[in-house]
Amino acid sequence: MHEPMLALENIRLVYNRGRADEVTALDHLDLALDPGEFVTVVGSNGAGKSSTVQIISGAQRPTKGRVRVKGRDVTAWPDYRRASMVARVFDDPRVGSAPDLSIEDNLALAMSRGRRRTLRFSTNATRRNRMRDELSRLGLGLEDRLHDPMGLLSAGQRQSITMIMAGLATPDVLLLDEHLAALDPATAARVLELTADLVAEMGCTTLMITHNMEHALRLGSRMLVMSRGRVIADVPQARKQHMEAAHVVDLMVGAGDELTDRILIPELQTEGAM
Amino acid sequence: MIDNVLIDTLVTGLPLVPLVLGIYLVLNIREDFDMTVEGSFALGGAATAVGLTGGLNPWMALAIGAAAGSIAGLVTSQLNLILRIPLLMAGLVMNMALFTVTLRIMGMPTMSTAGMETIFSPFVSSPGREADVAMSIVLAAIVSVVLIVFALFLRTEIGLSLRASGRNSRMVRSNGVNDNGLLILSLMVSNGLSAFGGGLMIQMQGFADVNMGTGMFIAGVGAVLLGVLLLRPTGSRVIRIVLAVVVGALIYRLILVSALRFGLPAGDLKGITALTLVLAVAAQGYLAPALARYRVRLSRKREPAPAPPTPIPTPSKETVDA
Repeated sequence: MHEPMLALENIRLVYNRGRADEVTALDHLDLALDPGEFVTVVGSNGAGKSSTVQIISGAQRPTKGRVRVKGRDVTAWPDYRRASMVARVFDDPRVGSAPDLSIEDNLALAMSRGRRRTLRFSTNATRRNRMRDELSRLGLGLEDRLHDPMGLLSAGQRQSITMIMAGLATPDVLLLDEHLAALDPATAARVLELTADLVAEMGCTTLMITHNMEHALRLGSRMLVMSRGRVIADVPQARKQHMEAAHVVDLMVGAGDELTDRILIPELQTEGAM
Repeated sequence: MIDNVLIDTLVTGLPLVPLVLGIYLVLNIREDFDMTVEGSFALGGAATAVGLTGGLNPWMALAIGAAAGSIAGLVTSQLNLILRIPLLMAGLVMNMALFTVTLRIMGMPTMSTAGMETIFSPFVSSPGREADVAMSIVLAAIVSVVLIVFALFLRTEIGLSLRASGRNSRMVRSNGVNDNGLLILSLMVSNGLSAFGGGLMIQMQGFADVNMGTGMFIAGVGAVLLGVLLLRPTGSRVIRIVLAVVVGALIYRLILVSALRFGLPAGDLKGITALTLVLAVAAQGYLAPALARYRVRLSRKREPAPAPPTPIPTPSKETVDA
């Protein structure tokens, strides 16, 4: 038997511990992802989706439990140390890139992810060629604008570049934290396509959080439904294919979750406005 | 008269360039405040003076001064990281502590290095106008080397992480860079540069004073703001960054030297500094948006590529920081 690529063992995460506003974000969360698995995660607000990402990326340490990547216990590793194995795309494109740096510098920063930074020049001809190659696949003409500041680009362009950046130093685990949430529908569709392509190409274990049931059902090989800090449904590919958004909503209602408009109104979903 | 003003500006302004560069590093690149630089400027001057008095090679004395400044920066960073003292407070405390350290190192409030061998000795025979010209050439050469090395450093992987870390530390961490390490590095480099400037200053003026750092932070901030206003450097335009530093430092000095030449008493200089700072900050707020709009129009004219529907890069950030 092979080892899971990513394992969460009995995770518990409590915010504001011991205070009046104490919140248990995750409780008894167990999760094992096989190498190459592409898992989508849905759930209503406060279900613990983003907390799960925080725990895996190392931005938050669990109150209890262990995190393993490739069998190694990384629970005590800070986020920057885990970056050698775990790449993350944020929901806000402004967080995932540096606006006052050029596209080239942003890509160069991501290219060195997981390696020790040295006094070598951050960009050279080889790297620049690779950047152009990677950017040209976007079809946005960005390969000719390497020196433009990132801040000049639209949200969609920036998020596309952030996706590329996540893949530059091939990660073992890719975390997508509602990475389409800030994009308009057409752009979201394009970035989603890019996501599917990149993930298929890299073959890395992927966890994609989304508010969009359609996306969650259409992409990936497995779907998790979360509620109140636990996984309430683990849907394998075979069942997922025949599922409809309404079923997933039923699951969430069954767990006693309050649903927000953006989950209930199908038009909002199909347009990608999550 | 005019060339006298220029020479005075160069001779008294060039030693400040490393200090202003250090302030730029923390203030604009890291987007943080570190007042330690005032203390390390005097500390560097004192250590260099003591080195000269002890008969050390003047270059060696400079290096020791710079190292002393770096250590001061290291201590400040540890106050912040280990004791969790906010950086602004840590810098203020260190600034105060360094006064005592500097006084202890020198053993007296003011120390003359007149007549001793300095880095200028091989080029300067007797004091006077010609000596000032020779000194400015030597200083210009040293400062150029510092600026070039700094610009090259910013282009390295570590330098790139530094440039990204001020605006977006989350991004930098998620790309595998230890942000705390960058804080330590930036404070050590910044204070090392400041102390190096102090060392240049005392070799130029022939004495070290325990109070020589006082007011240098605000003066440096004023110089940085002037440079930023005129050259509008951004994170990726490394050459502009170092140019902004040198232009800002020299123009700031030029204003002060001109004020002196116009017959204002030395006591008015602090007032002039304050006024320059206020005007520079105000100009940032009022002129910068106008300048930015002008620049966007320019760049669109140059390349008819599809103009991105984007916010104008907001240069008002510096104003907020100041």
